[in-house]
Amino acid sequence: MDKNTQQTVQNEKKGLRRLVDKLHLEKKELVLLWIFLGIFLLMSIISPGRFLSIYNLQSMAYQFPEFGILALAMMVIIVTGGINLSITYSATLSSIIGAVVLVAMNSAGVPELITVIVGVVVIVVTSIIAGAVNGLIVAHIGIVPMLATLGTMTLFEGISLNITKGGAISGFPTMFQWFGNSSILGIPVPLFIFVLVIIATYFILQRSSFGAKVYMIGCNPTATRFSGVNVKRTLFILYIYSGILTGLAGLIMASRYNSAKESYGYTYLLQSVSAAVLGGTDISGGFGKVFGTVVSVLILQVISSGLNIFGVNRFITDVIMGMILILVLTINFINNRMEEKALVTKKVVTA
Amino acid sequence: MKKLVLQVTLLSLVLLMVGSLVFAQGQKAAADDEITIVVMPKLVGIPYFNASETGALQAGKDLGVNVIYTGPSTADAAQQVRMIEDLIAKGVDAIAVAPNDPAALTPVLRKAKQAGILVLDWDTPADQSVVDLSVHQIDDQEYGQHIWDLLVEEMGDTGDYAIVTGGLSAANLNGWIDAGLSYAKTKYPKLNLVTDRVPTDEKQQIAYQKTLDLLKAYPTLKGIVGVSTPAPLGAAQAVQEKGVADKVAVVGTALPTDSKPYLEDGSLRVATLWDPAKLGYLTVVLAKEMLEGKAPVDGQDVPNVGKITVWEDGKTVIMGPPTDFTKENAGQFNF
Repeated sequence: MDKNTQQTVQNEKKGLRRLVDKLHLEKKELVLLWIFLGIFLLMSIISPGRFLSIYNLQSMAYQFPEFGILALAMMVIIVTGGINLSITYSATLSSIIGAVVLVAMNSAGVPELITVIVGVVVIVVTSIIAGAVNGLIVAHIGIVPMLATLGTMTLFEGISLNITKGGAISGFPTMFQWFGNSSILGIPVPLFIFVLVIIATYFILQRSSFGAKVYMIGCNPTATRFSGVNVKRTLFILYIYSGILTGLAGLIMASRYNSAKESYGYTYLLQSVSAAVLGGTDISGGFGKVFGTVVSVLILQVISSGLNIFGVNRFITDVIMGMILILVLTINFINNRMEEKALVTKKVVTA
Repeated sequence: MKKLVLQVTLLSLVLLMVGSLVFAQGQKAAADDEITIVVMPKLVGIPYFNASETGALQAGKDLGVNVIYTGPSTADAAQQVRMIEDLIAKGVDAIAVAPNDPAALTPVLRKAKQAGILVLDWDTPADQSVVDLSVHQIDDQEYGQHIWDLLVEEMGDTGDYAIVTGGLSAANLNGWIDAGLSYAKTKYPKLNLVTDRVPTDEKQQIAYQKTLDLLKAYPTLKGIVGVSTPAPLGAAQAVQEKGVADKVAVVGTALPTDSKPYLEDGSLRVATLWDPAKLGYLTVVLAKEMLEGKAPVDGQDVPNVGKITVWEDGKTVIMGPPTDFTKENAGQFNF
């Protein structure tokens, strides 16, 4: 190898490293990305022409945004060392209250566009209130997040059931279906909403001083408080943000299913914890990246759709998802251990 | 070291996929010229829907069509919608679904129709404007009347009785009870309903407690109707414990395997329900015929199922009368 080629190889390596650095990717996320690409390839090979068809790619792009947004709503809270068990019922409560308004205005003959705008505003406002209730209980009253959100989960479910009496509310204006069932230039509207949410969450969490405070709280709330950060205010705002995300997920679900019911998507609750943890979020707080969570949402979607198209029994799909979760957690654990060891040896040498 | 980790990751993934491939061998995707019919229950893994699975798969074998019986592992409408979207992408010929929530499935079923897929509902009706065929297990009116006939057979046509139901908001249960009550008003005027229908949250334990209360409050009680599958079992349990099985007749809607012990000790006189396996079988048969351009006809004799009823709208099919389970025949069923 002459000097020149060596130089270019090194440059290329540097370029790649720079790209990785720019995206703030860590080893955990790179492993995830590899897994995603591997699974995607495998699925394309085992059911050619079906998995890798424009129709299926589009159909998947309609499916994962609602779940992805909920996973991010969960992730931002797990980063603080908490958990938000009320996300799915906060989403459905918002959509139900929005649905009541939509149906009432629609049957009163208000123009569709106004009805839809008012309906969306109501959904978002309700989700802000739901988030604020969580924030109030967790940040200001100081109840442990798991218990607080367990309480609000039951509360939201109860309110929803009182409104719907156990049934589904339907009869929206046709225009409302746009949010969940239409596409712009072949790209589904829910995907656009999801991308906006990803960008917003990335900047709030990873690029702002507010985000830095959030990670600090996750590492050590007491130390954070003594370093002059208003922990209560930060947590309160973060729970409201989590609430807004559930509202957006509720909006997409109500539109996709053209109705609102309290139990829609209740299985997303634990799946969103899995997605966040699979994405490298530390369940005890302090670490977690938007990129990792998004990639793990994609992984779960590709496995779910791929195996479904291939005709694998649903329980076996669950088994495979569980195995992948354990596998990734194990790899991350081993990686961490090796890094620590390397660090220790380094220190010994320099000393 | 990094490379090693990556290699291990990829290797395990490959192993995982190979494993799933082996699992899937049994349900291998069909050749493109073969008819593929999807039968989707509300959820998989409960006795009722396991029984309908055997029926649906048997029909597939008998008729030489490829039947995919798949559904979510929880009764979540959102999961059902996602699975149907995947199946549209897979490209099947017919989808028969038992919706967890009719309204939620309307948009995705419309999508399926646009993709040229035949859409049916079974077990529970979907939005009637999007389905091509609606397969019902039973005529609600007749079923209600049948339950009251059984009650009178066991307790006589005079005396006090009570109704223990699954829940006050369940539309199908209410339909049967309303039909039975209005029928009893004219046919059995001497029957006396002592109190409003008693809800039991679809739980045997609660049905048991509520029946104990009923027995205490109304000592003259001669009959109890249990509607929803756990309700008659709870009622029978209470009657048996109080030792009044020969005085109070319990009848209702229950699965034969669950009710066998109660039927045998006489605390439950008779249970009545349809056979979910037959319902799965019928759904596949009708889907195949529709795909071949044959609409179901009233009075048509379907092999292994019996004579079916077709309503005037041409798309509502009723499987037929329910099956009664007694001490003698309860052992013959596997659901």
